[in-house]
Amino acid sequence: MAASPMVNPGDQPVWVNTDNCKACDICVSVCPSGVLGMKYESTSTLGAMISIDHPEACIGCNECELTCPDFAIYVADKQEFKAAGFSFAKLTDEAKERQAAIVANNYMSLSEQGVK
Amino acid sequence: MAFNYDKYLRLQKMPTLWCWGCGDGVILKAFVRAIEKMGIDQNDVCVVSGIGCSGRFSSYVDFNTVHTTHGRTVAYATGIKLADPSKMVICVAGDGDALAIGGNHTIHGCRRNIDMTMIVINNFIYGLTNSQTSPTTPKGMWTVSQKAGNIDPTFDTCDLAIASGASFVARETMLDPKKLEKVMIKSMEHKGFSMMEVLSNCHINLGRKNKMVSAMENLQWIDDITVPKRKYDAMTEEEQLNLFPTGIIKQDTEADEYCDMYAEIQKVHQGERKKITQDDFAKKI
Repeated sequence: MAASPMVNPGDQPVWVNTDNCKACDICVSVCPSGVLGMKYESTSTLGAMISIDHPEACIGCNECELTCPDFAIYVADKQEFKAAGFSFAKLTDEAKERQAAIVANNYMSLSEQGVK
Repeated sequence: MAFNYDKYLRLQKMPTLWCWGCGDGVILKAFVRAIEKMGIDQNDVCVVSGIGCSGRFSSYVDFNTVHTTHGRTVAYATGIKLADPSKMVICVAGDGDALAIGGNHTIHGCRRNIDMTMIVINNFIYGLTNSQTSPTTPKGMWTVSQKAGNIDPTFDTCDLAIASGASFVARETMLDPKKLEKVMIKSMEHKGFSMMEVLSNCHINLGRKNKMVSAMENLQWIDDITVPKRKYDAMTEEEQLNLFPTGIIKQDTEADEYCDMYAEIQKVHQGERKKITQDDFAKKI
């Protein structure tokens, strides 16, 4: 049996179950610190798939997990994450600017070019 | 390990059949989290849903579930609740399910004040059948059945529930899942009929011709038409036009609950008390 998608694969602050993701962009729009972005993916329904570009900037606010309608994105439990010796980042101005740039880029990851 | 949703879901049905970005999934998630927080056993919860996109709600959760006929959620749920009042009964209905075809049942569920929670997922349109006018469609919007613009006046679910006698009435949006979860817990803990309206998005069928093509644009529109109740109360009547207050709108813990009254009837038949008369209602039974 495959590992449960709830279980953290390798101590990540945020991870994705790509089987469930429908690329609706909502998680990208609610992230305050520009962690997420969409990447082109020809096999996906809407031609895009979520990617975690800056896991080191995740502040652990849980917004993406709560607003994901499809049980596709998960955020590590704060206490467990700390007990494992990791910590969430603080919200910085750089992260806020990156988020604004991603939203302006039609929720696409900044490394992707062109219009969705 | 993140929050364990798997415990409450039927994983063989995943991924959900809802469109990308559909608010129903967010409400489902908030509901699952609320149940987990309340610490209720899965076998003590019964989820009853009708027909429509919201009707799929009962297929995905691993509680006792009934997927009933169109609009008859409250009727089925009343039967379930009366058969075993110790169980928690949750009705899930869409705006068309609860207010159009099932409007009659909704009114009488509210009137009886029977202990159940009714979650009305209001997305302002008949989404499953491709955008016909629903009772809650705002005036002037494009729909398949009124292509020149909707002229039907809009139904207010919460006002209807208050007028019909529901003892707990709340309205929330899917924009703030944390708050939605909190209010959902309060509505489920309340003894009596709890009407919980959740404003949701349908950018596929409502938004496609109404300039809200993406989920975010539709959510922004919902954000624009809602205000917290405290702010709403301070507004003038002119400012309140076309706005919906959010939060707990009515909470009455004194009202008679139907299962309690029904237990009295059972006592009469078992010879434990005299027949119920009008005098009994001057005070609380």
